[in-house]
Amino acid sequence: MGKLKNLTQAQYLAKFSRAVRWRLPPQEAEEAISDYRELIFQEERDESKLVEELGEPVQAAHLLTDVKTYRQWLKVFAVLALGLFLLAKWDFMGHSSFYLSSYDQWWYPVWVMAIGLPLSLYWFRRHGQKNGPLSKGLLLSLGTVLALGVVIMAWTWHVTDPAFLDYYAGFGGIPWHITLQRYLITYGGTACALAALPGLVLAKCYDRRWLALYTLALTAAAMCGFVIFIFKSMDLSVAIRGSIQAYIFARIIPIGAVGLVGTGVALC
Amino acid sequence: MLKKDLLELCLLQLLAGGDKYGYEVLTPLRTAFPDTQESAIYALLRGLGKEKLTEWYMAPGGGGPNRKYYKLTPAGQARLEELRSDWRHMRDAIVSFGVE
Repeated sequence: MGKLKNLTQAQYLAKFSRAVRWRLPPQEAEEAISDYRELIFQEERDESKLVEELGEPVQAAHLLTDVKTYRQWLKVFAVLALGLFLLAKWDFMGHSSFYLSSYDQWWYPVWVMAIGLPLSLYWFRRHGQKNGPLSKGLLLSLGTVLALGVVIMAWTWHVTDPAFLDYYAGFGGIPWHITLQRYLITYGGTACALAALPGLVLAKCYDRRWLALYTLALTAAAMCGFVIFIFKSMDLSVAIRGSIQAYIFARIIPIGAVGLVGTGVALC
Repeated sequence: MLKKDLLELCLLQLLAGGDKYGYEVLTPLRTAFPDTQESAIYALLRGLGKEKLTEWYMAPGGGGPNRKYYKLTPAGQARLEELRSDWRHMRDAIVSFGVE
């Protein structure tokens, strides 16, 4: 057996807390952390023998883990995280590397949402736990993502207005409005996909209502991805200019509505 | 009987002698079973709580902050009797082979 690494009491508790929050449901994790705090900070406890007596913090957390549920969680997390990675990549690159079917590729981000939303809601409603009052950090994060999503979609509405497109069709080059929209939707969509990941982690470690951040950010990223793919393949001919706004919004409004309902469910 | 059962027997026996806080339970068991770490004993203690064999309550401890005290439930008492019986049978079986 190798030499055990010494940890201070605070280091031990911090490492144990991280491990146990990732593996156990929030309430069980808080109970275990409270018990370990009492055990670690006993007056009689010799700090230099902490790891020797209690065992490695991660191993201690492993002993408390329901292995079957934990493995299920790892599989669910892998699927959801892969979806977010693909969404972030597609939003940033503006295209997909996969051509799996005859469907138009602008539906790809919606597929990620169609898998991620029900899977995450099902898993967290079944295995997640609420923990205390609603966090101010969560409300602030939701407000930020919602505001970003609304700004991006409002600007998209503006630049897809047939009158606006007709006006600029006569000029050469790309108007700054379109350039700004491209930046907003590319970087905003990517940022939303990335912001969804901490929502997932915090929902597992602290309170399942953090899943609302995942669902809202996922929805915003999927809507951005949908619009990006359409813009990438758009030909601004006269016929398209007259119907592009109606075409896009007839599709992304239902996607947004489903995402908002999912966010509401995650908060309940 | 497996080592886990022996640990469980000793743990329940300790609690049968009176309510105890975590460190009071873990320290004598680690001394008696030096190759077992306290985290394993704590996991066992927690498992007993989930099976409703033990309960806990908070109470002032030694002038410091409140401590979590563990106590045996009637189901825990019954489980202790069962483990004691198993232990006696095993001990008699071993002695019958001439092991002192």
